[in-house]
Amino acid sequence: MRLKVASITVLLVALLLIPAGLAAQDTIKIGFFAPLTGFAAADGASALAGAQTAVDFINDAGGINGKPVELVYYDDGCKADEASSIARKLIERDKVVVGVSGSYSTPTRAAAGIFQAAGVPLISSYAVHPSITKAGDLVFRVGMDASTEGWAGAELVVKQLGAKEIAVLTIDNDFGVSLGEYFKERAEKFGGTIVFEKRYPLGESEFRDVLGSIKDEDPEILWASGYYAEAANIVSQAKELDIRCWIVGQEGYDSPKFVELSTDTSAYGTLIVTDLNRDSDREIVQSFLAEYCNRTGLDADMVGASAFDAVQVAAYGIENGGVTAEEIRDAINGIENFENAVTGPFYGFSERRVIKPITVQIIRNGEFHFFMEFTDPDIITPAP
Amino acid sequence: MAIGYYLTVGVFMGIFSILTISLNILTGYAKQVSLGHAAFFGIGAYTSAMLTTNYGLTFWQALPCVIIITAFIGTLLGLPSLRVSHDFLVLSTIGLNFIVGGVFRYFSFFGGSMGIIGVPPPRMFGSPLGNMGYFLLTLAFLILTILTSYYFSKTWGRLAMEAMGEDEIAAKSMGINVPKFKTYAFALSSAYAGIAGALWAHYVGSVFPGNFSFDRSVAILSMLVFGGMGTIRGALLGAFLLRLFPELFRFIQDYRMLVYGGILVVMIRFQPMGLLGKGSVLWNGLEWFARKIRGGPIQEGTT
Amino acid sequence: MIQNLLNAVVLGSTYSLIAIGLTMVYGILKILHIAHAGVYTLGAYIGLYALYAFDNNFWIALVLAMLATGIAGVLIYRGMYYYMLKESRIVPLISSIGLFIALQELFRLFAGPYQKAFPAKSGFPRVETSWFSLTSAQGLIIVLTAVSFLALYLIIGKTKIGLGWQVCEQDIDMAGAMGVNVNRSIALNFFISSMLAGAAGVLMALYRNSVYPTMGAMVSYKAFVVVVLGGFGNVTGCIVAGLLLAFVETFLGHLEWFEFPRDAIAFLVLISVLIFRPKGLFGRK
Repeated sequence: MRLKVASITVLLVALLLIPAGLAAQDTIKIGFFAPLTGFAAADGASALAGAQTAVDFINDAGGINGKPVELVYYDDGCKADEASSIARKLIERDKVVVGVSGSYSTPTRAAAGIFQAAGVPLISSYAVHPSITKAGDLVFRVGMDASTEGWAGAELVVKQLGAKEIAVLTIDNDFGVSLGEYFKERAEKFGGTIVFEKRYPLGESEFRDVLGSIKDEDPEILWASGYYAEAANIVSQAKELDIRCWIVGQEGYDSPKFVELSTDTSAYGTLIVTDLNRDSDREIVQSFLAEYCNRTGLDADMVGASAFDAVQVAAYGIENGGVTAEEIRDAINGIENFENAVTGPFYGFSERRVIKPITVQIIRNGEFHFFMEFTDPDIITPAP
Repeated sequence: MAIGYYLTVGVFMGIFSILTISLNILTGYAKQVSLGHAAFFGIGAYTSAMLTTNYGLTFWQALPCVIIITAFIGTLLGLPSLRVSHDFLVLSTIGLNFIVGGVFRYFSFFGGSMGIIGVPPPRMFGSPLGNMGYFLLTLAFLILTILTSYYFSKTWGRLAMEAMGEDEIAAKSMGINVPKFKTYAFALSSAYAGIAGALWAHYVGSVFPGNFSFDRSVAILSMLVFGGMGTIRGALLGAFLLRLFPELFRFIQDYRMLVYGGILVVMIRFQPMGLLGKGSVLWNGLEWFARKIRGGPIQEGTT
Repeated sequence: MIQNLLNAVVLGSTYSLIAIGLTMVYGILKILHIAHAGVYTLGAYIGLYALYAFDNNFWIALVLAMLATGIAGVLIYRGMYYYMLKESRIVPLISSIGLFIALQELFRLFAGPYQKAFPAKSGFPRVETSWFSLTSAQGLIIVLTAVSFLALYLIIGKTKIGLGWQVCEQDIDMAGAMGVNVNRSIALNFFISSMLAGAAGVLMALYRNSVYPTMGAMVSYKAFVVVVLGGFGNVTGCIVAGLLLAFVETFLGHLEWFEFPRDAIAFLVLISVLIFRPKGLFGRK
């Protein structure tokens, strides 16, 4: 028995000490973390597939300066402490040149501080919390900023659709709350009135009670933030309660699963403020959509596209900068009209947050289609 | 060398060891099974984070406040245990996770959904603690926790708690003030958890309402039972192993949580008293070994 | 108004349906069977794959899911709890948690992490009047909850099986001495309660139009609120408590200024009830 215990202990210690760098040293390593288990596992899977697609694209085109790219990825379970140890593992053991986060705000924020302190750049795909890029001069974001997304929503709702009475339904996390603040501020500035407002928790599936109150207010527009699972329930139950106003969503809706999970045709006609324009004639978009579908058997979503772009920006930084953090940082800061991004083109970065066009998609016959696009710098430049 | 990575894993192991030892006082000694320990953990983290970021206190100035506040809130939240017992209590403690998390999220006073950002690392000798320093700090707190907890386990307080846990009515008739000791257990356990929370918050640097959820509580209780309830050694080993497994099994990433769940079931099925609990194969073996080395007569039934 | 009440009744029915099985298991074995939530998810997945195989026929899916979960329930009892009956109650609780974690991971590995739609055709009519409308899924939930409750009521009150359960509930050792086949009685209890969990899984999948690996997470704690409010092991109490909880939630959900999370409300209700009635609303003293 004792022998067994001793040998197991030795085995466990040995496992911990196995160097991770078994792969050849002449690859360029990009570190990646995403929630592959737990409640956010679906987004983690999309992000990973998007990042892997980007790595394949880069390697098929001959790698970076002739060297192939290797994606080192770990599961953070959407937890801050796991992200902390992963960040150190990626930096110290795997010796990655750049980190890419395919995770939510909480783990990304925890990892950002570690990457910054260790002098390794980190690019966040879609985590929204404003404090992430404030962690330091090495932390970037390629997803939409809460401010631009909220402003574009207000522009669409009040100016383009001409709605004055707006009901706001906010998902109660950092994403929904910061987005909602910017949306309300602009919408009210443009002359809209918020006739109803309420927050709901992540993962909520029963909206009939809230929607009942919204129906009593009879707004012209329902602006609701949330992820596609909540969104599908919102539009299905709104249809069931015969709420006929426009429903405007944002990037969280942006997944084919939104249409699949909503009942019958209830998702049709929903407007979605997002950054992935599936009708774009840019070549990178169409080849990404095709390759992603080929790889996963599913149609691409916003999360996958953002992770793809984050890896593309990382590769650009290494190719045009070098291997030190400062060179990569300066290369990314110097980006202008970056065409290799699916959610682009990236016009540039403002305080390490991307400036890129914002698209509005509409669900027509169960598919995402182009509705309109915002490129006005006033709207798409993130708030200071 | 990747010493920083090991230190980080070590810091979290240390924090969870403190949590498990603190839960041991409540659940191991006083037999008040709690699936809400993450709530006390979170209260400690939030208290320290708020005092240092919003009110300008240092980590060291905040620490006594953290201990007092978590002990106080622990007492308050433990009050239902005076009326409610057994499985009803387990369910009430599950509720603590959701209520405390809900309060953090609902009131903007606590930062709401945006959490509290920029929690500073503690300073020692005039400079902020680095990774190694933090590891040593955590280790120091862990040793302190073990020592005080060990001291407590030798006092009359523990005996009273165990008597109360076994049979409340009998304990009452023996003159043990049951409400007092229940409250005492909640306060003590919660204060330790508060320290763990403060350590966590200052290490991670930000706190969000979702950090201290039900699955955290589940993990802490699992660690305690896995290692051996009612013993400090068991609490330590449980926290150590159950933090280690998911980290070790990173190379089979997709299956690591499956393995975790499986190990839990199989382990409890064959060693229900925990790996190092009284009467477990491993502990009996160690005792036998220790006696053999000492060369003394082998006695049955001593602990 | 009527519409709101009806929506609350449907929500309450789903709570009760999920909780009935749990309360039955608790009644006989006094264990907190968290893995019940895993069985519930299993039911939804079996139902989903049955839909794929049998041309989206809801009734075949329901029956297959109930059968499979019933068997799974018996296996869980024989493979796990059976060995823990003499241990302290925390032992089955922890292994139940471990099993639930492992089950969730199995579902994710087998079916992928994504939510899947549940394209069932039940043929159940949609009710539409000038005061209210009831979708076919809502109608099904109310009817099937009522049917399973009635069936359970009859089994417990009028059959030997139910008598066996009642004896076991009082004292398992005594039941053996009185000639009740304890093992068979418990296995049957697990079979039926898990079948109900499977049915609940299929119905919720239909109602929410989604099946996903972590769909049981909510059940793992929320259903217990209903179980406790109803008084552990009390089937009638469980139904009433489910409806009550749904009414409170729906009422508070209507208030624009009240944004405290739904789950937190449920537990606030629970704890305040327990402080005044430590054995639940309908618990026996």
